[in-house]
Amino acid sequence: MDRVLGAIADPTRRAILARLAESDARVTELASAFPISLNSVSKHVRKLEAAGLVRRDIRGRDHVLSLDAAPLSEAAAWISHYQRFWADSLAALDAFATGRKPTQRKRK
Amino acid sequence: MNAVAQVPMVTVRREIAAPAAELFDAWLDPAKLTHWMRPFDTIRSDVKLDPRVGGEFEIVMHTPNGSVPHTGAYQEISRPRRIVFTWNSPYAGDHGSLVTVDFNAKGRATEIVITHERLPSEEMVKAHSGGWSGILDRIGEAYADTRATA
Repeated sequence: MDRVLGAIADPTRRAILARLAESDARVTELASAFPISLNSVSKHVRKLEAAGLVRRDIRGRDHVLSLDAAPLSEAAAWISHYQRFWADSLAALDAFATGRKPTQRKRK
Repeated sequence: MNAVAQVPMVTVRREIAAPAAELFDAWLDPAKLTHWMRPFDTIRSDVKLDPRVGGEFEIVMHTPNGSVPHTGAYQEISRPRRIVFTWNSPYAGDHGSLVTVDFNAKGRATEIVITHERLPSEEMVKAHSGGWSGILDRIGEAYADTRATA
């Protein structure tokens, strides 16, 4: 999962994922969509592949890339799990320390 | 070097009407922790902890669907401002994570800020430190070259 979080930490890679979310694309098509070299795009794509976020389908001379959202949803699940875990725990600590009834979410 | 620190993390905060020292102590006293660290459908938490830097803890949360163990070790204990500990659980998976709890006094209340971040894998650490030592090596070589030609 570290590879996934590391992969999406870069804004260019996020943009590549957003592009692939629209439709599959060849590596060369991606390169023309970004103001960086084909080499740089390839490096970014390899990181995304290593994280399992992008699949490469080699069809003759074409390398077609597609988005694999499963690992992203794992990272999102971790974040959402611990967001709720700690919010719940702090609500319980609040009730414990102040003697007031526990509330699920702090209201502003 | 800080690409490793760019891994996203969770930040949760809450203001509680109690003094920082009291809230701080509630994290390191097993008799208290067992009462309040019960998120979701936890019925009961069994707590064992050694409240020293390097000391370990084990919190087993019992839910209707089974028991979930959480383990870790304290990295920093600065009463009443901050506690830092590693956190491992079956849900956190592979490489564990790091939790920082900050207690900020706000008048007679305390704002608690919990920052929970994934720890980079050994591969990531090696990849990044390899990058830096590589750069330093090249600077060193370039320096040696200029001295040789001076």
